Order: sequence, then C-alpha cells, then structure tokens
Amino acid sequence: MSGDLFDKTTNALATSMRMRQLRHNVTSSNIANAETPGYHAKKMDFEEALGRALDMDGANGLSTSSKEHFAVGGVSVAKTRPDIYENPEGAVNNDGNTVDLEKEMSALSENAIMYKTALQLINKKMAALKYAAGDGR
Amino acid sequence: MADFLTGMRISSSGMAAQRMRMNTIASNIANINTTQTPEGGPYRRKDVVFEAMPDAKNFGEIITGSDPHGNMQRVQVSDVISDRKAPLLKYEPDHPDANPDGYVAYPNINLMEEMTNMIQSSRSYEANVSALQASKDMAMSALEIGR
Repeated sequence: MSGDLFDKTTNALATSMRMRQLRHNVTSSNIANAETPGYHAKKMDFEEALGRALDMDGANGLSTSSKEHFAVGGVSVAKTRPDIYENPEGAVNNDGNTVDLEKEMSALSENAIMYKTALQLINKKMAALKYAAGDGR
Repeated sequence: MADFLTGMRISSSGMAAQRMRMNTIASNIANINTTQTPEGGPYRRKDVVFEAMPDAKNFGEIITGSDPHGNMQRVQVSDVISDRKAPLLKYEPDHPDANPDGYVAYPNINLMEEMTNMIQSSRSYEANVSALQASKDMAMSALEIGR
C-alpha cells in the first residue's frame, strides 16, 4: 500500500489536475468553434463526482470490520469520471451556435489558475517528502 | 486520456481556420473594384464555411471505449463559397468592360461588412492564441512537479 507516502490528498490533487486538463480541452474546443454554425457549447463537471469519491464526511462508504473486507460503497478517486454535456445555458445565435466567448475565456483562465493551485499543493507535498527523505537537511 | 496536445491541436485548428477566413476577407477587400476574372465577369465575394470535426481518437480510448474526444471538436474550413449577390451596375460608358448599355458590373462588396468580419476574425484568432498559451503554460508547469 503506497497510501502512506502518497496519501489521499496527493491522489485527489492528481485527479483534479487530470480533470482540469480535460476541461481545458473542452473549453479550447468551445473557443475554436465559437463561430461554427450549429455548434453547441460543451460543459464539463467533475467537482461533485470528485467530492463524492473523496468522501470527506464518510457518508458514502459502508464501514468494514476487517482489512480483508472489500470496501463497499465509496468510489475510488482515480475512477472519478467527468460529466460532459451540452451547456443548456447560453442564447442560441442565428446560426445555431451557443458559445459565449467571454464566458469561455474566463472559464479558461479560472481553470488554468485552479490547475496551477493544485500543482503548487502537490509541489508542497513533494517538498515535504523530500525534506523528510533528506533527514531534514 | 486526453492530453494537452489535444487542446493545442484544437486551438491551432481554430487559428488556421481564422487565418483562412482572414485571407478570404483580404482577397475580398483587395478585389473590391475588380471587373475581370478568369471565370469571366466581375470578382465575386468569397466566404468561408466552418465545420466542427471530432478530434481524432487515440488507441487507448478505442480499447477502453471512453470517448471524451467526442466532445472535443476541432474546427475546419469545409468550403469556400462565392457570394451569389448580383453585381453592382455602374454607368461608366468609357470603361473597357462596359456592356452595350454603358453599364459596368462591379463586385457587390460592402467594405464595412468586410471590416467588421475582419475584426471579428482577428479577435477569434486572439482567443485561440490565448487558449494555446494557457495549454502551454499548464503543460510546462506540470513538468515542474517535484522539482
């Protein structure tokens, strides 16, 4: 079990970065198709699924009485799946396009900032591990 | 799993499409007074048609059946069409291209329309550049993990 060295937080951060990367691609696709007739803007959600998988309040998993038991109920963080769908918001243009370029651009920067935040947190954890591995030197 | 190359490919497809559109607009503006073309008659205003194309799937997604790429679409210019508006007729009997009644057929191009399209196109291009830049920044900073 690598759980001691790379704990739940690291895994959650890694998953979050993976999802943000995917969302970045979805947003890029919306921006590229901002003037394509008939294109519908896509939206991607993962926060809720990740939150469920992280199970902070312990409400999702059933407790087990032995280490040999399979975990019941909780979903693994690594198996978090994004939910990509057509954005129901957004006015339909004359040409059937629903991309709101301003929204997409702000979503893009927000997502990039959140990506870098997760990355910094991972780096902090790595720095702590490095420090410990170097006997605190 | 999708990677940053996907995003970069998509953004660059957007840039390529807008560049193509910009070239078409430039051609329209340049030929605003052109009365002779190889096809005969005055120049006809050109317009591009954009089309969304699903980004190519990779092997991993085909075997696992996961298809986030179905939601990620490149853009491409599927066609360049000629405007069907009737040419503008101007009375210029001395012009070598004048018809027997003394009218010359000029391209039906509205300069204002071309200029607004041009601004829109350059803004879209910039938006794609920003997205590409963000992809690059994120990818580069990911390389810093554990440094």
